[in-house]
Amino acid sequence: MFSLNNLELRKVTISSLLSCIYLPSIVTVISYRGILYSVGKGSSFYILVLIFIAELAKSFYLSSNNDIQSKRSRNKMRASDIVKTFGFLLGVMFCFFVGIILFGAPVLDNHEGTLVLSTLLTLLTIFPLVAHSGVETAVQLLFGVKSFSKDTIVAMLVNNALLTVGGAWLGAVVIPLDWNTPWQQWPIPCYLGAIGGYVLANVMTVLKVTMMSAANKYKFLNFFVNIMNKLHVSK
Amino acid sequence: MLTWLLHKWTGLWLLLIALGGISLFLYGFFPLKYHSGKLSHKDDLPNFIEGVSIDGHEVYNSGENSVVLMVIDGLRYDFATEEYMPYTGQLLKNKSACIYVSVAEPPTVTMPRIKSPERKKEKAQWRRTINFWRDIFAMMTGSVSTFADVALNFGAPAVRGDSVLRVAHAKGCHSVLYGDDTWLRLFPGLWSEHDGTTSFFVTDYTEVDNNVTRHLDTILTPKDNKKAKFDFLVLHYLGLDHIGHLEGAKSPKIKPKLIEMDDIVKKIYTAMQKWDNTGVLIICGDHGMRDAGGHGGASAAEVLVPLVVVKSGGFECPHASGPGPTVAQVDVAPTIAWLLNAPIPGDSTGNILPALMPADIRQHLYLLHVIAAHNAKQGLPTDTEFFKQFKRAESNFARYLSTGQESAAKIAKEFYQESLQEMSKYLTATTTDFDMFSLGLATVLLYLVMVALLFVTLYSLQPDNQRKISVTDQHKTNLGSVVAFAIIFAISGTVLTIGCFITETKSQFCSFNPLWSIAFTLTAFVVTVAYFIIKSGMEKTRDLSPLRELNAIDYLLVIGTLFHTWSFFGTSFIEEEHMTWYFFWNTLMFFVLVRTIVVVVMYFSKRYWGATEVQDKPELQSRMSAVGIGIVPKWVLLIALHRYLRTMNQTGDRWLFLPDTADWLNAPENSFYLQAHLVVGTLLTLAICLWNVRYMNNYMKIHSVLTILATVCILCYRITTDALTTPFDAIKTWDNILIVDVFWWILNAQTIFEIITYIGAFKACGYQLPSSNKFVYSKPKEKSEDYFYDDMEEPWNVDEVKLNLVRSLSHIMYNHMMLIIILLMRPHNVIMVPSIYVTCAMTSKCLDHKLLDSRPGRNTEVADTLGLALVHIWIGAVFYFYQGNSNSLASVDLGSGYVGLGAYSPLRVAARMGLHAYAAPALSGAALFCARAAQADTLPRYLNSVWRVTNIMALQRVYQLSTYCVIAFIFRHHLFVWSVFSPKLLYDFVATVFAVQALTTIAEINILTHIVSWISRSITYKRLS
Repeated sequence: MFSLNNLELRKVTISSLLSCIYLPSIVTVISYRGILYSVGKGSSFYILVLIFIAELAKSFYLSSNNDIQSKRSRNKMRASDIVKTFGFLLGVMFCFFVGIILFGAPVLDNHEGTLVLSTLLTLLTIFPLVAHSGVETAVQLLFGVKSFSKDTIVAMLVNNALLTVGGAWLGAVVIPLDWNTPWQQWPIPCYLGAIGGYVLANVMTVLKVTMMSAANKYKFLNFFVNIMNKLHVSK
Repeated sequence: MLTWLLHKWTGLWLLLIALGGISLFLYGFFPLKYHSGKLSHKDDLPNFIEGVSIDGHEVYNSGENSVVLMVIDGLRYDFATEEYMPYTGQLLKNKSACIYVSVAEPPTVTMPRIKSPERKKEKAQWRRTINFWRDIFAMMTGSVSTFADVALNFGAPAVRGDSVLRVAHAKGCHSVLYGDDTWLRLFPGLWSEHDGTTSFFVTDYTEVDNNVTRHLDTILTPKDNKKAKFDFLVLHYLGLDHIGHLEGAKSPKIKPKLIEMDDIVKKIYTAMQKWDNTGVLIICGDHGMRDAGGHGGASAAEVLVPLVVVKSGGFECPHASGPGPTVAQVDVAPTIAWLLNAPIPGDSTGNILPALMPADIRQHLYLLHVIAAHNAKQGLPTDTEFFKQFKRAESNFARYLSTGQESAAKIAKEFYQESLQEMSKYLTATTTDFDMFSLGLATVLLYLVMVALLFVTLYSLQPDNQRKISVTDQHKTNLGSVVAFAIIFAISGTVLTIGCFITETKSQFCSFNPLWSIAFTLTAFVVTVAYFIIKSGMEKTRDLSPLRELNAIDYLLVIGTLFHTWSFFGTSFIEEEHMTWYFFWNTLMFFVLVRTIVVVVMYFSKRYWGATEVQDKPELQSRMSAVGIGIVPKWVLLIALHRYLRTMNQTGDRWLFLPDTADWLNAPENSFYLQAHLVVGTLLTLAICLWNVRYMNNYMKIHSVLTILATVCILCYRITTDALTTPFDAIKTWDNILIVDVFWWILNAQTIFEIITYIGAFKACGYQLPSSNKFVYSKPKEKSEDYFYDDMEEPWNVDEVKLNLVRSLSHIMYNHMMLIIILLMRPHNVIMVPSIYVTCAMTSKCLDHKLLDSRPGRNTEVADTLGLALVHIWIGAVFYFYQGNSNSLASVDLGSGYVGLGAYSPLRVAARMGLHAYAAPALSGAALFCARAAQADTLPRYLNSVWRVTNIMALQRVYQLSTYCVIAFIFRHHLFVWSVFSPKLLYDFVATVFAVQALTTIAEINILTHIVSWISRSITYKRLS
């Protein structure tokens, strides 16, 4: 893997590996402490803070020593930019909030759970994109105005975002089952589904990069790489 | 055989065959024995035993008894011991009482989760009644109930057939009930005295029992002549079951409760001693309970219940002490009937409890004979060993009667008992047996039909030019295909016959009697037809390239439709089927939202950031102008509307008790909002109908007036039924049946008017047509040069006028359906009708491949048709559940069946209930067919798309049906087979019936078009020439 000479690919791999490590660790720790099923409550806010810090750190890593130009632009980032970014994130969060309710979350009660879920989704999907490329570019990327090539940081981030939403979406499947388990409470399945989707996306990225580097030696692995490329949802 | 593939309505025929298949499946699935409903009379008692006369009435007489049946809900076997019930244990120990192990009928379905607000009460009560049914039914009629009993007694859960209470009532017995009011519902009018307690609040376990016990002192004190006040007393205690449900069988509250029950036993026993007549007390549970507290399974703790018999006046239990012999729950009925001196209920299959059998050998034998003869009358086969045994016993009994030999009596008794044992085994087996042969055959048949439909659909999805019949095909002789058909027919017939004999099935299907032979031949015929359709479909389906145009949303639709059926493997996915649909529908709306946003944002970004690109991409411009920027907010509003409609009716099983918007609207203080919903829904429907009038001919004014009049009728009907307040009090006094009749006449008049104007009858009467008549025949201005038909009919624009007529008739049908449905709907649901229209319209617009796919210049007609057909099926399903339907029989709205009906007429009630329940699929289907007619530019195109849509819809229906049949087959011994799988099977059956009906309507419209067109042509040509 470390034969990767493409700097960007290396960054992608390392950041994906980091995500593969830190998120499962958080989940493991809280499940060992027996508070896994309280993730939908406001008391679990510190998890969100942890994720926020981790994502921020990752984005710093991803944008660090990229090239001189971006460094300069990052140095120029002002307070107003930060405010703008936060405003944008709040807006996205609100959109998630309304969207989740429109798609079937309880309307009148349990706003706390819905809010926590929408914060998590914002943190895992939009926030890395915005932190990496700024508000305007993020919007353009989201709506497919700006295209991106495969195996780039942006491609990874968009892929992560899509799988995260997909995971949260699939998590809702278990809610109607009559197993009467504590984790069928709103929004735990969606919350865990989102985390699962995010981790899965990162695992896939790592796997793909591993295959790609190994494919230099074993040609047949290219076949799997192609499959992986196809799997990545493209607009 | 190719003609079958080419035929436009093959899909419909195949669907009809599938309906036959599912009927066969239902026949095999629901146990074969149906209760005859035969009532028994005392005169039925045999007076001759093989020619030896005996006075039946006199021998049968059991003396003067008062029977107390004390049912303790949830009393399981280990509760009736000295540890829990000391007094009863004492009685058992000193042999004053007898205990039996009684086997309740599994599955004794779970009680619904209760705690519901007022409106839900009725629904849940009804469900509970069905669940209750089996136990009480078994105890009172002496026969095991089948699901068919419940289904056939639809809507009136009273027991129609014979029962202990019926025979007691006929004899003039004084029957008293204290306890659960389900008894009153099951046996209405048969009680002389009753106090029903509602069992509704499961949290209450003291009050329900006190309500029963409070009457005991009065009822147990004897009358002046020292006899008991009653002949038959039923006490039903629910408290124990409630504790079980709340806290489980190990709860500390169980013990005090059982002590309380024990005290009641003591009270009754001591009271019985004071009576002059004999008192008999039967204590039993109706079902047991799991350690966790519920019931509904077939485990020993749930099925084994104690049955304790206590009799006053020197009774001694003949059985050795210990757990006691095993009896069936159905044995209670003949025992009580005999004790009351009443004949044994007509459908009873039970025996009299051995402990109560008289010591007198003559009477004893006579009773055994009565029961055996009674069983033998219920269609037992005469060539079996137990029947011969019965005959032998009878002759021994006759010998005893004439000669008085003790040995003969002994032999007779033994033979009777042996034969009875086998008889009840046989009778129980036949009530619960599935007809495996029919089940298997029906499933295979359905699969064949499904594959045939798949090929028909694929064939129809090919591009037009692929369907040209080659020259060689045309030259094939008919004789060859007839011979081929005959050979395959013979083969399939032979295979079926051999199958019958190899499996040695008892199925009626293989009985080869005349009626079943027809079914047999038809099955062989269907197999042959399916074979040929599949064969030619395989050969002729070559080019499926149009399917390459499917985009992500189409794949979602296809995969979702396929997956949905397989989700039925989980019972909760059947109970909560609405959740699956809501999930799919949300996913679809989300996809569409994202795609529309992407299209709009792309357009604007191109416009602002690179102004020249818009000119470079004219197709983008055209895509945008087709829908406009407003599509995104409109779509978001649609999502919001659906979110609102979802809250309208809670459905399913798990969250049924949650309050919903309908509850809120129906509360008296919110009646304003309810009326607002009603009025807005009705007026919006009117607006949609008026908008649709533009597809009709140019007498639009008349059509509009008729539509408005029909709507006025609906509003008047609402006023007379107090759903709407009005300043005009006079309307309230109008007869609502008359109003509905007027409504029907208006609708009929509209249809007839349209057809008459088409034929041109008004012109003949001298009425001048306005110039923009759509139904005017004219020669097209430019005639193509190579037009070589010299038939004079062709140059006229016949096809165009036909298309206009089809459009007009389709929209009339759609309008009428909407109007009828808003008449039938509950006030809060009226809003669904315009919502379905809006949803269908907007979805059709957004799913258009030209809008969503960036690649221009492709032929997306087939992909469009496929996507639209599936999405309309989805819309139908989603609204079906919005409306409050579910897969439980309890959610059927019986009230809608009686709208505007003066007298009960089964067909009309069924049609109304069906249209009401399946309103949403019907409306969305109608919207689809109307859109097909409105968008088609030529008649062949229209026919083609209708062909495709019909095939797709039939395929979806049969696919779901066949898969579900497999699931029902696999789970036929599942715990929830009667409460979950069977109702769903019935729902699927009804859905298929209505699918056939709906597609037939479309076919009728087409046929009507051809006929009318032919008539009008003959009139018009005559006039022109």
